[in-house]
Amino acid sequence: MNCSSIDLKAYVLGELPESEKGRVAGHVRDCASCGEELERLNLTHLALASLREEEAPRRIAFVSDKVFEPRWWQRMWQSGPVMGFASAAVLACAILAHGFIRPAARQQVAAVDTAAVERQVNAEVNARLNTVVTQAVTRAVSDSETRQKRETATLLAAAEQKYELQRKYDLAAFQSNVDVLRKQTAQMYMASSGLEMRAQ
Amino acid sequence: MIFREVEDRDLIAKARRGDVDAYSILVSRWEKRIFNYLLRLVGNREEAMDLSQDVFLKAWQNLKKLEDAGRFSSWLFRIAHNEAFSLLRKNRPEVELTGDPTVADRGPRLFPVELTLAVERALTRLSDDQREAILLKVYQGFKFEEMAEILGCPVSTIKSRVYAALDLLKDTLAPVGARGVQ
Repeated sequence: MNCSSIDLKAYVLGELPESEKGRVAGHVRDCASCGEELERLNLTHLALASLREEEAPRRIAFVSDKVFEPRWWQRMWQSGPVMGFASAAVLACAILAHGFIRPAARQQVAAVDTAAVERQVNAEVNARLNTVVTQAVTRAVSDSETRQKRETATLLAAAEQKYELQRKYDLAAFQSNVDVLRKQTAQMYMASSGLEMRAQ
Repeated sequence: MIFREVEDRDLIAKARRGDVDAYSILVSRWEKRIFNYLLRLVGNREEAMDLSQDVFLKAWQNLKKLEDAGRFSSWLFRIAHNEAFSLLRKNRPEVELTGDPTVADRGPRLFPVELTLAVERALTRLSDDQREAILLKVYQGFKFEEMAEILGCPVSTIKSRVYAALDLLKDTLAPVGARGVQ
């Protein structure tokens, strides 16, 4: 076999069919110069193969780029769950809109100032406590005065009754004394007048 | 590989119907290979990254023009080739191999990093066409016919570029390879 008909490079690069590979391998065993050439080519290929692949510094980023994204209506149209969710969302929005639009009393939710509310509550509680205490004190004083008046009146009535009885008793005693005195006076007068008549 | 091709076909079919998730999986499968191909070709990580983004963007925009989903890899590398050479033509003139191998003598055993540097240096001394031919053949494993499709050249031209590059690399890297595997 002629050395010029042997394609060692194609052999090393794996481009030969199986039938050719055997023919080249047989020739190389017998031909020293082709054997050396094959060794040099193998070493070259080995050196080239030692170069490792490098990792890309970052992932290809444009997958998230706008140009890759289908339009919103395409995504929605292609997705059954999204369509269902969108329908539910539209229904919920309609209910909410109805709730806001209907002429019901609108409640404005303002920001709650807890400190002010607390102050207001304390003031209200204090005011109510003062009122209740004042009313209780007033009622107690009034009851006490009433009770004292009633007791005083009772005592006074009892004293008046006592003094009236005493007066009546004294009056009766005085009257009795006066009657006695009048009787004595009359007796004395009678006695004196009897003496004069005897004297005449 | 058969399953991978079948899955790629399925993903491509979905992506052609506008399925972004399917295309995202395709990107994740191919981005490392495309990035490394572009990196070895242009020699700059940032430029390679930007080019990778452009490649996948153009692929997405033109996916419906891909007639045979089984040729997706060739088609994708064709886009990458066009993008890379557009940049190379804009950035710098053609760089030809000077033919002065610096690591020709056998010496002490090389560390892996030295071997890597030697290979990278040897690759940069090839012309852009030769380097691309080696990248597609050795690192991406394409057949000559597939390379011809990617690069839009006859198979004979491809073969000529690969063989010429191998001859040049052999002078530089055969001794290095020998020291590296001692």
